[in-house]
Amino acid sequence: MSSDQIFVGLEIGTTKICVVVAEGRSEDQISILGVGETPSRGIRKGEIVDMATAAECVREAILDAEEKTNVEIGNVWVAISGGHLRSLNNRGIHVLPHPRQIEQEDLDQVQTNAKEIAIPPQNIFLHTILQSYHLDGNRNVIDPLESEGMQLEADFHIVHGMKTRIHNTLRCVESLKLEIEDVVLGSLASAQVVVTQHQKDLGVLVIDIGGGTTDYLIYQDGAVRHSGVLALGGDHITNDISVGLKLPIARAEALKIQEGTSTDPTESHGGVITVKNDPGFLGCEIDRRSLETIIHCRVREIFELIRDDISRNAGDLLGLLGAGVVVTGGTARLPGIAETASDVLDQTVQITTARNVGGPLQTFENPQYSTAIGLTKYARLVTRDLRPVSLMDRISKGFGGLFGRRER
Amino acid sequence: MSADVSRRLIVGVGNAGVTVLDLLAMADPSLKGLLVVNNDPESLAGTVVRDRLTVPAGDPADGFLAIDEEFGKSVAGASFVVLCGGLGGETASFLLPALAIHAKSNGVTVAACVGMPFAFEGKNRTELAETALGKLHAVCDAVAVIANERLSGSSPSTAAVGEAFALADRTLLACSRTLHGMLSTSGPVRITRADLKTVLGAFGAKVLFGSGSASGSNRLHEALETALSSPLLIQQGKTTPGSALLGVKTVLLLLQGPSDLSFAEVQTAVSGIERIAGDRCQIKTGVLATLSAGTPLTLSIIASSGEGARISKAEISSSEILPEAIEPSPGTAIPGAAVAPPIRKTTKSSTGTERQPSPSKQTQGTLDLDTYQRGRFDKSEPTIVAGEDLDVPTFLRKGIKLSPPRRS
Repeated sequence: MSSDQIFVGLEIGTTKICVVVAEGRSEDQISILGVGETPSRGIRKGEIVDMATAAECVREAILDAEEKTNVEIGNVWVAISGGHLRSLNNRGIHVLPHPRQIEQEDLDQVQTNAKEIAIPPQNIFLHTILQSYHLDGNRNVIDPLESEGMQLEADFHIVHGMKTRIHNTLRCVESLKLEIEDVVLGSLASAQVVVTQHQKDLGVLVIDIGGGTTDYLIYQDGAVRHSGVLALGGDHITNDISVGLKLPIARAEALKIQEGTSTDPTESHGGVITVKNDPGFLGCEIDRRSLETIIHCRVREIFELIRDDISRNAGDLLGLLGAGVVVTGGTARLPGIAETASDVLDQTVQITTARNVGGPLQTFENPQYSTAIGLTKYARLVTRDLRPVSLMDRISKGFGGLFGRRER
Repeated sequence: MSADVSRRLIVGVGNAGVTVLDLLAMADPSLKGLLVVNNDPESLAGTVVRDRLTVPAGDPADGFLAIDEEFGKSVAGASFVVLCGGLGGETASFLLPALAIHAKSNGVTVAACVGMPFAFEGKNRTELAETALGKLHAVCDAVAVIANERLSGSSPSTAAVGEAFALADRTLLACSRTLHGMLSTSGPVRITRADLKTVLGAFGAKVLFGSGSASGSNRLHEALETALSSPLLIQQGKTTPGSALLGVKTVLLLLQGPSDLSFAEVQTAVSGIERIAGDRCQIKTGVLATLSAGTPLTLSIIASSGEGARISKAEISSSEILPEAIEPSPGTAIPGAAVAPPIRKTTKSSTGTERQPSPSKQTQGTLDLDTYQRGRFDKSEPTIVAGEDLDVPTFLRKGIKLSPPRRS
């Protein structure tokens, strides 16, 4: 089996660390060989707060994956998230001295020009994702290569984040003698497998609600228009339950998984939930309506924050989505979350897991694995040998290799 | 000239005053309008401040006459003067009020920032300091009193004597800088001189002061935390940061920092203080955001508490500010506990009506806010969006009541 056909996606999440090993197939397809995972320690809100512990957890997850798949893991693709990530759209302009055929160098130059923007000094670029080209006023040119023109412009969606925090994730992985192929924005990775190209063309909002962060990405006309990360997630729901109902965190987590729903408490059936005795913990009876109120408030607020952020940064894009909203990530398993999202975002909402991938059913049926699976799909798209000229390919090239930039 | 209109003068008097101005000059070499006055040629020789007035040794009254004219020249054209020094010593205790009277007679706004001696420095010194403080209050528009004894209460008993004095100097420095900053604020968000008078015009009230600076993306939260942890803002016998602010009527908040200080940050600061002081507290905010980007943000809080009596200037004749008029009460051996009782019990009706009910009674109902719960996120970096700390459970922030769990 040639090693370059194997892709390994590593997601260092707040709840769990997940390693997906997948095999590249024809037609951009991937087939999952196996998943290694371990519960996370030393990670808060998607960022490493205890390097040694986190590295140990990553090691366990990698070993688990190696054991299950019989693949020796050397190179990984790493997903990144965290509240420090910021995004913006910018247009690069490149004027040729005289009209001639557009060459690859010109495309590179226009991308470089687009990055001539002020980002905070402590930040570095994570992604420069192509939205569209304009050639001599001809808007939305899909591929200007070999066309004749003079003024080449291109819109990019740029994601940047704090250098030190991105490096911390990298150092954690490098300390395990793993080679990093590239780092990828978590929501961008998820989007590769939870939505289809057709949905991206129609316009879709992808929301990945994990344990510590909520990542979202909005596509319109096949290109990324806006992205964002909120340092809020399932952990906050658990914490709210713990604070509100005066339960230990572990009890609150179990209660959330077993009984939690995000339905509107005004439609609650009411009733009482009995929390059993435990050594060191006296059992109690909880009003179901209280639990629902706590969860509903938090979930609603998360969607409201996303809605407000999009309307502030991308205008009324939310109203123009042809394919609605897609929710994935571990917290997407919370019953009633789609109704709450639909209510806030005024869009049709689907809970989705990875699609168009082959392999053991239980892995891609779980929205928890979307990001890690998405990483392998992303890897497949970026590194495929055959390069048919398509928009997707151009976008793929737009994804910057962070390492290339670091060396420069 | 317009420069003259806003000319400010900071005068350091006595050994402590010289030390503080030295620190000030070193911290901000561009600061103009510094003047040191002392009778110790040695200390004057060692200072980095250019403008110095040497008072001849001997009777301070004679000494004052010797520098009277020169001081008049320095004051001329200034729009306000900040006097700072440590009370208790012969020089500062006489010179500070004398200089204040002189400056005041020139029609200049005068604010004083003085340190009260430690208890171990002797009763004689304490009495001298209180006498001088009474005079200062009668003359100055605002007097900020830093009680060294209360500062020392926060440091461990094994702390070196030098450290205790250094802490006192640093606090005095921060306080005079804050006063200076407050008097310099201009524009839409400013602290007026009337505000300063309301808070610092009352004699005998305990001055609560805290200051903190930080930079980086989380600068506001860090600065606020440092400021609230200042020993003068912690009620005696408690450990909660900012506990002394509970029930205070007016709080002056000054934000000094780079020009990229955002509206949301100002809002966060105000709501952070409001959370502690209760919503009946009036927060007067001043913003001086003119420094270059990258400089740390400094957040300072001044408030006063206790049974301060306001003295109107008309009620004080020159004879009343003589030493005999003030009878130190037996309880003043610890000057920090209360700087001094109100000067006279025969205060006129105007003071009677302004007296507030004791703070502890006023805020019984708001104690819950003090235990604002972030649960497991207590120690982690807060998620702040639009000035709201999103780690605090949503239902708490929205004030939704839950039925408590019943222990079985």
